[in-house]
Amino acid sequence: MFKFFSACRKESLILVRDLAGLIMLFLMPMIMVTILALVQEQGWSSLSRDPSIPVLLVDEDQDTLGAKIQEGLKGSNVFKIYTSIDGKPVNREIAKQKIAKGEYNIGVIIPKGSTGIIRHKVQVMVTQIVSGIMMPVDNPFLDIKVNDSINILIYFDPGIKGTFKYAFMSTMKEYSMFIESSMIFSSFNTELRKMFPQYRPPKMDYRESVFFTEIFPGGKDEKAIPSTTQHNVPAWALFAMFFIVIPMTGSMIKERDEGSMIRINTMPVSYFTIFMAKVSVYAVVCVIQFILMMLAGRYVLPLANIPSLTVGSNYMGILLMMVVSSLAALGFAIAVGTIARTHQQAAAFGVVSVVVLTALGGLWVPVYLMPEAMRSLALWSPLNWAHVGFIDLFLRQATIADILPQVFKLLCFFVITISIALLYRRVKSPLNN
Amino acid sequence: MQGKAIIEIKDLVKIYKGSDEAAIKGISLDINQGEIFGLLGPNGAGKTTTISILCGLFNPTKGSARIDGMDILSNHNAIKKIIGVVPQDVALYPTLTSWENLTFFGNMYGLRGAHLREKIAEGFSVFGLEKHADKKIANCSGGIKRRVNLIAGLLHDPKIIFLDEPTVGIDVQSRVVILEYLKELNRKGTTVIYTSHYMEEAEKLCTRVAIIDRGKVISMGNPRELVAEHPEFKDLENIFLHLTGKDLRD
Repeated sequence: MFKFFSACRKESLILVRDLAGLIMLFLMPMIMVTILALVQEQGWSSLSRDPSIPVLLVDEDQDTLGAKIQEGLKGSNVFKIYTSIDGKPVNREIAKQKIAKGEYNIGVIIPKGSTGIIRHKVQVMVTQIVSGIMMPVDNPFLDIKVNDSINILIYFDPGIKGTFKYAFMSTMKEYSMFIESSMIFSSFNTELRKMFPQYRPPKMDYRESVFFTEIFPGGKDEKAIPSTTQHNVPAWALFAMFFIVIPMTGSMIKERDEGSMIRINTMPVSYFTIFMAKVSVYAVVCVIQFILMMLAGRYVLPLANIPSLTVGSNYMGILLMMVVSSLAALGFAIAVGTIARTHQQAAAFGVVSVVVLTALGGLWVPVYLMPEAMRSLALWSPLNWAHVGFIDLFLRQATIADILPQVFKLLCFFVITISIALLYRRVKSPLNN
Repeated sequence: MQGKAIIEIKDLVKIYKGSDEAAIKGISLDINQGEIFGLLGPNGAGKTTTISILCGLFNPTKGSARIDGMDILSNHNAIKKIIGVVPQDVALYPTLTSWENLTFFGNMYGLRGAHLREKIAEGFSVFGLEKHADKKIANCSGGIKRRVNLIAGLLHDPKIIFLDEPTVGIDVQSRVVILEYLKELNRKGTTVIYTSHYMEEAEKLCTRVAIIDRGKVISMGNPRELVAEHPEFKDLENIFLHLTGKDLRD
C-alpha cells in the first residue's frame, strides 16, 4: 500500500510544481462556468428582462391595430421598437434592407387599412348576431360574407434564434387576438346603444380572470426554482470536469515519453497501483474544481444579477456524486491516455469525445427537446447520468437512495473504462502487470 | 566471484510488429554469476532488444530465457525484485528533485524509511551529488542526470544490473566514477550486464563480451582472449570493426 501512497505523493508533487498548470486547472473552469452562465442567462432571460431585440415597425395602418401592436411589443419587455432610423421614418424598403444586412433582427409591416378591415369584419359579425336576435327569419344580413383579411408582413433576420422567433410570433398573435376582442366588445356596445338608447356600457374589468401559479414540486423544499443557473452551473461544471482528460492524458504520455514509465515497468510494482495513484490525486483535483465552480454559481453569479445556485441540503449525496463523476471522468482519461500514442491523438480524441458526450448528455440542449433517436442515445452518456444526479439533488431534494442508479452507472463506467485500459495494455504490451 | 549461469538465454527471437526482419535472430548465451558481461554491437544490432526482453519490457517472439533459475515469462515480478535497470535515456521526473526521484523509485522497489535514506545518501556520496540532492532534475547537467539515473537502478542492491549505454554523452570524470563504481559493485558480487559502443571501455571493464550484429552473436569471449585469438588486430575495436564491417548503420 505504501507504493500506492508514494505514487500519490509523486503525482501530487508533479502537479503542485506546475503552478501555472494548477492555477489553470482551477481557474479556467470557474471562468468558463461564470461566462457561459452569464451568456446563457442573458440569452434566455432577456425574454423577461431588458428589451434587447431590435424590431423595425412600419405602421402603414396609423390606426388602432398598429398602435396596439406597438404598445404590446413594447410592453413585452423583450423587443425594442424602432419606427425611425436616424430621424427618418422606416418604410418597407428600408426595413427589408436593414433586416437583410442583419442590422436589425425583425421587421413588422402593418399594411394600410388593417384596422379598417378588422373593424368592418367585426361590425358585420356583430350586426349579424344582433340582427339575428331581432330578426331570426329572413334576415338579409346573414348572407353578407367578408372575405378581406389582413396580411401583416414579418421579416426575420435569417440568423435569429428559433426561440426568439417563436416568442415574437406568440406576442403578435396574443395582441392581435386582444385587439380583435376589444373591437368586438366595442362594436357590441355601439350596436346595443343604437338599439337601446338608455343602454350604458358596463365598466369591464380587463384584468385576467385566469391566473397561472408555478409550482415546482421538490420534496421537502419547494423553494428551489429551476433557473438557467440550476441547469447551467452543474452542466458546465461537469463539462469542465471531463476535460480533465487533457491534463491527465498529458501526464500519462509525458511519463511514457520521458522514460520514467519504462523504468517503472522494470520495477516490482503493478501498472494498476501507478494509475490508481494518478486517479486518486486527479480525483481530488476534480472535486476541488467542482466545488469551486459551485461556489462561483452560488456567490459570483448573483453579483451579475443572475439567480444564485441552490444546492439543496443533501451534502453527502453531493459529495458522493462529485466523487463518482470524477471517477467516471478519470476512467475515461485513463483509457484515452493508455490507448493514445501521442499528445495530439489524446487531445484531439479527448476534446471531441467530451464535446460529443456533453451534447449527447443533454447538457446543452435538454434531452426532452432532442429527437427520439438522440433521446435514447442520451441515456448512454455518463455526463447525462451525472447531470441528472446533480439536478435531482439540487432541485428535487433527492436522497442518496434516489441517486443510487446514477452512482451505479457512473461507477460501472469507471470500471469499464479502467478495464479497457488494462486490457488494451495487456494485449498491446506484453507486460503482464 | 564467477559461478554458475545466472542468465540463460536460448534461441531468443524478437520480431517487432510491422517489421519484416527479426531484431534478434536466435541468440543463445549464458552469463555467469559475478560477471561483467558486455553486449557490444553497432546501432540496431539487437543489444537493447535483448536487455529489454530480459528486464521484462518485451516478450520474445520465440525462445526462452531464465534469470536466476526463473523463467522470464512466468516470473516477472520475482525477477523484477532481483534486477536493477539503468535505461539508455534518463528516466527521471524532471520537476522532482534528485532526492524525490530516488525516494519514489526506491519506494517502488519496496525500500522505505531510514534504510532508503541511507541508500540514497550513499549513492549521492559515491557519485559526488550531495550538493544536488534538492535540485530539480530539469535544472541538472547531463552528467548529474546520468549519475542519478544510475543510482535509481541500484538502490535495492540488485543481484543483477542491466545498464544500457550508461556512459553515453557524459564527461570523462563522470564516466570514470561510473565505471569504478560498477567494478566495485561487481567485486561485491553483483552481476553486471552492460551495453556500450565504447570498445576500449568494454575491454577494460568486462570479464566477457558478446559481439552482436544484425540480431546474432558473432563472437563471444574474454576481451583479452579475443584480442589474442586475432593477432592481426591490435585491440577489441579493430576486431569489432573487422567482424561488423565499416558500413554506417541506422
